[in-house]
Amino acid sequence: MSTVIASPSVRAAARRQGVDINELANKLNRQQITLDDLSSTGPAQSATNTSEMSQYWDVDHHQYGLVSVTETSKFDRIASANLTAASTLIPQVTHHDEADISAVEALRGKLKQEALAQGVKLTTLAFFVKALAVTLKQFPKFNSSLSPDGTELYLKEFVHIGIAVDTEFGLMVPVIRDADTKGLLQIAAEITDLASRAKNRKIGPADMGGASMTISNLGGIGGTAFTPIVNPPEVAILGITRTRMTPVWNGTEFVPTPMVPLDMSYDHRVINGADAAKFLATLAKTLADPRFLLV
Amino acid sequence: MTQSAQLVVIGAGPGGYACAFRAADLGMDVVLVEPRAQLGGVCLNEGCIPSKALLHGAEIIKEAHHMREWGLDFGQPNIDLDKLRGKKEEIVSSLTQGLSGLARRRKVRVLNGYARFTGANQLQIADETISFENAVISVGSEPVVLPGWPEDERIWNSTGALELRTIPDQLVIVGGGIIGLEMATVYAALGSEVSIVEMSHQIAGTADAECAKILHQTLEDQGITIHTGTRVVSVSTSQEGVELTCEGSFGGSLTADNVIQAVGRRANGLKISAESAGVHVLENGIIPVDEECRTNQPHIFAIGDVTGNPMLAHRATHQGHVAAEVAAGHSAALDSQLIPSVAYTQPELAWVGLTLREAKEKQIAAKETSFPWAASGRNLASGGGAGLTKLVYCPETHLLLGASIVGKGAGELLAELVLALEMGATLEDIALTVHAHPTLSETIAFSAERALGTLTDL
Repeated sequence: MSTVIASPSVRAAARRQGVDINELANKLNRQQITLDDLSSTGPAQSATNTSEMSQYWDVDHHQYGLVSVTETSKFDRIASANLTAASTLIPQVTHHDEADISAVEALRGKLKQEALAQGVKLTTLAFFVKALAVTLKQFPKFNSSLSPDGTELYLKEFVHIGIAVDTEFGLMVPVIRDADTKGLLQIAAEITDLASRAKNRKIGPADMGGASMTISNLGGIGGTAFTPIVNPPEVAILGITRTRMTPVWNGTEFVPTPMVPLDMSYDHRVINGADAAKFLATLAKTLADPRFLLV
Repeated sequence: MTQSAQLVVIGAGPGGYACAFRAADLGMDVVLVEPRAQLGGVCLNEGCIPSKALLHGAEIIKEAHHMREWGLDFGQPNIDLDKLRGKKEEIVSSLTQGLSGLARRRKVRVLNGYARFTGANQLQIADETISFENAVISVGSEPVVLPGWPEDERIWNSTGALELRTIPDQLVIVGGGIIGLEMATVYAALGSEVSIVEMSHQIAGTADAECAKILHQTLEDQGITIHTGTRVVSVSTSQEGVELTCEGSFGGSLTADNVIQAVGRRANGLKISAESAGVHVLENGIIPVDEECRTNQPHIFAIGDVTGNPMLAHRATHQGHVAAEVAAGHSAALDSQLIPSVAYTQPELAWVGLTLREAKEKQIAAKETSFPWAASGRNLASGGGAGLTKLVYCPETHLLLGASIVGKGAGELLAELVLALEMGATLEDIALTVHAHPTLSETIAFSAERALGTLTDL
């Protein structure tokens, strides 16, 4: 016998909507489920009750021309609900900066062949992961999580970095564990392995979750800047777009320098603007001079 | 001849006809098969309804007798057994005819006969073949026949007892469950000297012990002899009557003009060649079903007594609606464990949900609170006798877990508590709900108040 309390009409409505009352109670951390709880978990699966607000864009598209309809996947709907919750419930700010990665590229050039000999493809992303891990060690607040009710802040002793991977099923975020203690080659090898497994959907729950911060790297595709959405319970996310050869004034002349744009969205309840600026400046400094990776 | 139907319902008891009518209301093309000439099954023809007609008679006799203490003497009742039987039959036939009308109005095709499956989508009624998309098995149950007993027309089952052939001077009822107790109430009121023999140590076995004890005592006060913890070891018949030899708490013999066997009911699942349709039936005749009332064959449903205990008409009706809705493509289920039980004895004994004993067995934290009817103004003013309202609740959350009531009209009072349980009511919800004064329903609020320490009536 279920221990969840729900009246017969609520149980019947849940059955019609395909909602498992026990799961819902678990999710809401409640013993009693009412009709109101059900309507907010309707087919759209949105985390907040948006059915009324979104009414004005519920239009008949056919009246404007030919359209085809496909159903969204279960995966899409879960992602949609999570993104809606993150975007609606968390006050977010995005801070922009850029980093000189000529030294990173030079170092990568030197190590590339050696890495290949070991069967590892050393990408710039591995440097971003390592640099972010090193920076996080210096800014504990960025490596934290806020409890859903906002009453407790959890500071993490570990540094795990999530990597957003675009797959044909949707976005997945596998995690490099303890990135602060791992070498560049190991990080690079793990990125390759996790990304390929994510694309083949061979990734398990153990490979995801628990990240300190996530990197969304669009560098290989393009763009000059974007505003990523924080991936809770993390409190910040780092967006990266395409590196551009930029004329940089060195005091006497303009030097063509490869600059990578850095866009960091953060949970303003935990992090304030000055800290965010310092964080990205430190990250940029670390990337500009990879010797800081050793510090 | 061959007919086809979207849905065939086998058996027109309270589950079967409810299912057929609901399915027809949902737009399905329905055939309802019934071996009896009338619809309504055991419930209407030889169960719930006729027994209630006789129990009403018994109640009036008892009340009239009781009113002597109030200075109102109606004299000895003059019992015209034929007329009483006639009245009972009149009530039954008006109800069954009503059902036939309801079936006609819904264009449910009623076929008379015994159905047997001949394939996964086919069944046979005499020489008629019906092909179906979905079928519902609602073939009910029949009284258990005690093994080793002689065949004798003085030995009845519940059906025979309700035929009211005679009023025996001495009547022994084997089985102290709901049916046995109701038959004892009827015949004792009509003047029989009634003894009940029950194997277990409590009448109405699964009911709350304290409530069952109050009923036990009241029935004994009415002149009914009850032997619990007693079993019948042999039966012999002679011209003088039927002689039962007993052992256990009562060892000795009982001689009676008539004996009623009321030791339970057996599901009829083995009587329809269910195996031809691949439907799984247990050795005891029960067909297992899931919450949607589906058998192991997803297009064949089973409802009511044939699906096992509790074998009660109101469970069958709800299952009937579920089966019809699921067959019509809707989502529905009987997802409640809260099936109320009522013994329509005098006084009535009614219960639902957990008893304290059951909670202990299941290791569920529970406490109980009660209110004795001796302190109920309405009960005293209405000439009601012994009674008790008892609530079982979670000591931590005060959530209601179960309820038992013994007393006049307990069966009607119980409905409030079934609803309270379904809605997840707490003792506070019940206590803070205004109950009209003076009513017996106040005893429910008083029980809750007693547990909360807010009672001022005790």
